[in-house]
Amino acid sequence: MTTSDPSIHPQRTAAGATPPEGGPDAHEEQATAELLRQRIASQFGRSLHIRTLDTGSCAACEQEIRLLTAPHYDLHRLGFFFTPAPRHADLLMVTGPMIRAFDIAARKTYDAMPGPKIVVATGACALGGVYQPDAFVHGSVGGVLPADVWIPGCPPSPLALLHGLLVAVDRLAEKVAGLSFASDDRAGEGLQ
Amino acid sequence: MTLWFLRGLRRGVVTTRYPARPDDSAADLPTPPVFRAEDLDQALADRLVAVCPSHALRRDADALVFDVGACTACGRCQEAAPGAVTSSGEFELAATSRGHLVKRIPLRREARA
Repeated sequence: MTTSDPSIHPQRTAAGATPPEGGPDAHEEQATAELLRQRIASQFGRSLHIRTLDTGSCAACEQEIRLLTAPHYDLHRLGFFFTPAPRHADLLMVTGPMIRAFDIAARKTYDAMPGPKIVVATGACALGGVYQPDAFVHGSVGGVLPADVWIPGCPPSPLALLHGLLVAVDRLAEKVAGLSFASDDRAGEGLQ
Repeated sequence: MTLWFLRGLRRGVVTTRYPARPDDSAADLPTPPVFRAEDLDQALADRLVAVCPSHALRRDADALVFDVGACTACGRCQEAAPGAVTSSGEFELAATSRGHLVKRIPLRREARA
């Protein structure tokens, strides 16, 4: 690990790694950001340690995450490991609707992780599906921690989680961007 | 098991990449719905929005907005409109942008021929 190289430890902001708009150096900054993104992806392509963060989930997501280490799914063959310490973690897997009582703990966990780091929002609650924002929950991870990858599902199956983790480290391409969830083809064949 | 062990000894690699082959259990997973565009008029869209318990469906002027991220694959919309809404069979839905998960399904024109 080239830990002495400052370029692989960018300061993350809530808005992600997007460079500021406009200015004469915008293109150069974008090129630098792309280069940085590739270098970070190559770092994450190696062994990767995961810390899970339960922000008020019903534990169904945890049940599925636990199954990842079972022989059938065997997370470790892909170089992923769970760690109890955020300081050893590269990837934060956040489940639950982000209850407000957990704000400080969530922020501390995120801050304790060394950069570069990935946040994966896991399950429909974390994505803003089940709970709407109110006095007790934020309703989604997005407003509190800068999520990089979103894994839908209630709960996401271990296969979906594996796919999500591999998408997070750029080892698989995401599929959902190309899906329309509308069956137009059959409408064309219907001859109406 | 024995074959697997011998193959591992011979090749020196005992693990496989993901996905090595389609998983049998994947067929039984509850998956988000697919909407038949030709059946989807405004009345049906409103009914589906009303029946969705997890705020995954929303009505726009000329489209049904389906948030795949918010969908819990509960199947209530499929129950409400068995022909028009079917299971997609897609479960590998991880996205690198939240916007990739929001789908617009155009409604059928109101003019009934």
